[in-house]
Amino acid sequence: MTRADFMAKLRRGLVGLPVATIDDIAADYDTHFADAQAAGRSEQEVADALGSPDRLARELRAEAGLKKWEEQKNPSAAAAAVFAVLGLGAIDIIILLPILMGVIGTLFGLFIAVIAVIIAGGAVMAAGPFLEPPGGPLTAILAGLGMMAGSTSIGAILTIVTIGLVNALVWYGRLHYRLLKPAIDPQG
Amino acid sequence: MERVTEAIEIQLKKGVLALCVLALLSRADSYAYEIASRLAKDIDMGEGTIYPLMRRMQSDGLVETYLVESQSGPPRKYYRLTDAGRASFSQQKAEWAAFTRAVDDILGAAA
Repeated sequence: MTRADFMAKLRRGLVGLPVATIDDIAADYDTHFADAQAAGRSEQEVADALGSPDRLARELRAEAGLKKWEEQKNPSAAAAAVFAVLGLGAIDIIILLPILMGVIGTLFGLFIAVIAVIIAGGAVMAAGPFLEPPGGPLTAILAGLGMMAGSTSIGAILTIVTIGLVNALVWYGRLHYRLLKPAIDPQG
Repeated sequence: MERVTEAIEIQLKKGVLALCVLALLSRADSYAYEIASRLAKDIDMGEGTIYPLMRRMQSDGLVETYLVESQSGPPRKYYRLTDAGRASFSQQKAEWAAFTRAVDDILGAAA
């Protein structure tokens, strides 16, 4: 593979990252080729030593997604992390996919249920006292409050579980780095 | 013994690569190709590995970059250790020394 091939594949593979980041990464590898040539090595030899540019780009992109999740724990970063791991394209991740979809679906359903119960609790609290409930108006208000409080705490637990699951997925994804391996372990 | 096993685990996780880079930079500022070719030769690492590693070390605040004009081609990017990088180096170096000493003791006792 020539220097131009390598650089073109790397740049193509990095599409989706911020342009400045792509330029930065590309400049590093371009300089590497220039330095190696100055040292008398062929383009072919250097490209071989660097490994597959497609794989490299995929891992760099995955790492960017996983890092985003570590910096900000929100739903879009979680989605970025999930796609990053899928983007690594390891065969066992594809086998894992149906399980993952099941888990995501279940969590999503539970979140919707929690929100529904919160709304229902609000309705019971607001409307209950006027509907002559058994036990009197105060019971209805307290029952409504209880429904909201209970589902809020279940929602909080679900959030913690979700964050834990995504963290586990990030850890699992990083096991699949081949080219980046020594570079991604956190520094002490 | 607790401390030693912990050190082994930490070192295995990090790999010695970051430690070697810190060591090279503690002697003199350098640029990526020089670091990469040195490490590729001495400890047999993939030379492309250096770039993600330098990037990570830079975002961790262990190294910083500056540009040096060169006669041939564009300015060259040099790396130097930050204060945090120097502190991290001496700490990791001490851990590494303790670890290898412990292993040497065991190997010596077995001989």
